[in-house]
Amino acid sequence: MSTQPIDTSIYTTITAAIRTEASRLFTAGEIVAIVGYAAARRKGAAQPIIITDAAAAETLVFTESCVNNLAVYLTKAKKEIPKNGKIGIIVKGCDLKALVGLMGESQLKREDLYLIGIPCAGVLASTAQPATELTTETIASKCCECDAHLPLGCDFVPSIAFPPGPQLESRYSAEIARLEALTPAERWAYWKEQFAKCIKCYACRQVCPFCFCEQCLCDRNKPQMVDTTPRPAGNTAWHIVRAMHLAGRCAGCAECERVCPMDIPLNLLNRKMAKELKELFDYEAGFEVNDTGPLTMFTEKDDQSFIK
Amino acid sequence: MQKYISEQNLNTLIDTLIAAGTRVVAPRMSAGIPLYEPLDSSAEMATDLLPRRSAKEAFFPVCEEIMSYEKEGQQIKLTDVDPARFPETVLVGVRPCDAAAIPVLDAVFSWDYKDEFFLERRRKTTVIGLACTTSDDACFCTAVGLSPVESRGSDLFLTPLEGGGYACETWSEKGEALITSNSALFSDLNGAAPMPLAAPQVDKIELNKVKAWLDEHFEDPLWDGIAVRCVGCGACAFVCPACHCFDIVDEGTEKAGKRRKSWDACGFWKFTHHASGHNPRDLQPKRYRNRIMHKFKYYDDKFGQTLCTGCGRCVRICPVGIDIAQIIEDISRKD
Repeated sequence: MSTQPIDTSIYTTITAAIRTEASRLFTAGEIVAIVGYAAARRKGAAQPIIITDAAAAETLVFTESCVNNLAVYLTKAKKEIPKNGKIGIIVKGCDLKALVGLMGESQLKREDLYLIGIPCAGVLASTAQPATELTTETIASKCCECDAHLPLGCDFVPSIAFPPGPQLESRYSAEIARLEALTPAERWAYWKEQFAKCIKCYACRQVCPFCFCEQCLCDRNKPQMVDTTPRPAGNTAWHIVRAMHLAGRCAGCAECERVCPMDIPLNLLNRKMAKELKELFDYEAGFEVNDTGPLTMFTEKDDQSFIK
Repeated sequence: MQKYISEQNLNTLIDTLIAAGTRVVAPRMSAGIPLYEPLDSSAEMATDLLPRRSAKEAFFPVCEEIMSYEKEGQQIKLTDVDPARFPETVLVGVRPCDAAAIPVLDAVFSWDYKDEFFLERRRKTTVIGLACTTSDDACFCTAVGLSPVESRGSDLFLTPLEGGGYACETWSEKGEALITSNSALFSDLNGAAPMPLAAPQVDKIELNKVKAWLDEHFEDPLWDGIAVRCVGCGACAFVCPACHCFDIVDEGTEKAGKRRKSWDACGFWKFTHHASGHNPRDLQPKRYRNRIMHKFKYYDDKFGQTLCTGCGRCVRICPVGIDIAQIIEDISRKD
């Protein structure tokens, strides 16, 4: 399939709308801060910003470079963000699913948040330079299977008519199918090679909205549950701990994979777990707050075929 | 001494060295990403790619064993790693920003404590730098006083020439020795002009002004402003050619195990976490401040230079877009 451009002209309108709304919110005293995106030095680049007054509303942007899931800033792991009043946050659909998950886990209260939802046509893949045009090639893999272009249940969403977009081919399902077709030995060889690249920078953990443990198991040394050095034993243990701890919780924002400086395809693990959860418990991350996660609840209908 | 070497002869040199048992480390693709790694053959070399991690790991590996122990009854046997066993190495195609970081590391690892692991590898390594002909808007070597033809840290320095091949300039006895022992592969320069060099679009930053401001602003609202977005991973430090912090841990069982040294980063919460539970750098802005202070003040105080060579790797990989070039430029404009 040839590369096709993706229309991002709506982002200009969205930027204007979120600036107006941000300014209104501060002026009306409805919120104390907004977690959003601002332009950065490199052409086309954007970075997270926390603004606390109406004057700064003009710095807010939304573009195809607004890749971050800002939900991470609202977790208890981020102590730097003052949480002394209602906080506004800019959310794409995928980001909102994470916030919803955090609400389900009693980490956040809906009434403490002002959700500014973004009708999203997609963002750039981590492999693309920030100034790259958004196309069927340069779009992030997660966007290719997005079912959440329009976040639901927000306090404010700019009203936009989505321009028709090209058909996007799913990349994760294809890759998962490829891996599933391998023998266990081949699959193990694949993951061994991938985990060998890990340098234990923990970027995957630090950007994950669900990695909100105040002290990660991997940072404990009494006892040392997981080897800390970037070697096969500790790397493998860490990535398995991570994948398992996120099963039934991961909302699919793919931040772990985006930020990995060594390009380990971490979201494949998350997507595979999501697939299992769907098959076994008919569970998938969505926009409805659910305080009984699939792996934190027992029902008699649960699959028990693994008990032999 | 200035010589000419063709691409083919450079490949021959590499293959000859490998055949003679020398470890040749150069940029190559490794499980989907470019890294400086030992080559099996010159055909693997990919000098047009900027390795995802810097060349520092040729001397300061991501993780290395420094000792092993065995316990039997009351007997404990300790075995040191013998640095004499480290291989002779030639590091080829090193970017100027990576090569320039090597003397920066030398100063630290030969300072109050002589780190034999680093120093022995360093003694046994010849560095062949390569001028940059491409750059992107994250590159900022020119901002910190270096350039795409900076030869600092290189024993030999290659500049690609129009029409193919390289001008090869000697910068040390090690470099000269490599040419002398392979003289048939080198010839006199043919007068060809160098290829157009990379031109990072960043103006020189007055680092003395940056340092002067940092001297007076340990406490400043700036730190909260820039670092509130920092998520506290170690990616910037790990891809940095000059960052050199490490941790030492014992891994294994009570009966047997190894003592290992591996990269650490001041961005981590755990980095300054005391056994008492107290953490003097309890919030991320204090940790990010240390990153900037160490690079542009503390290191300068001790060694009279900057702990940053403008490679731009941290700018490219920061999960939240923190741009150190922007930060030091902003600081340089402060009163």
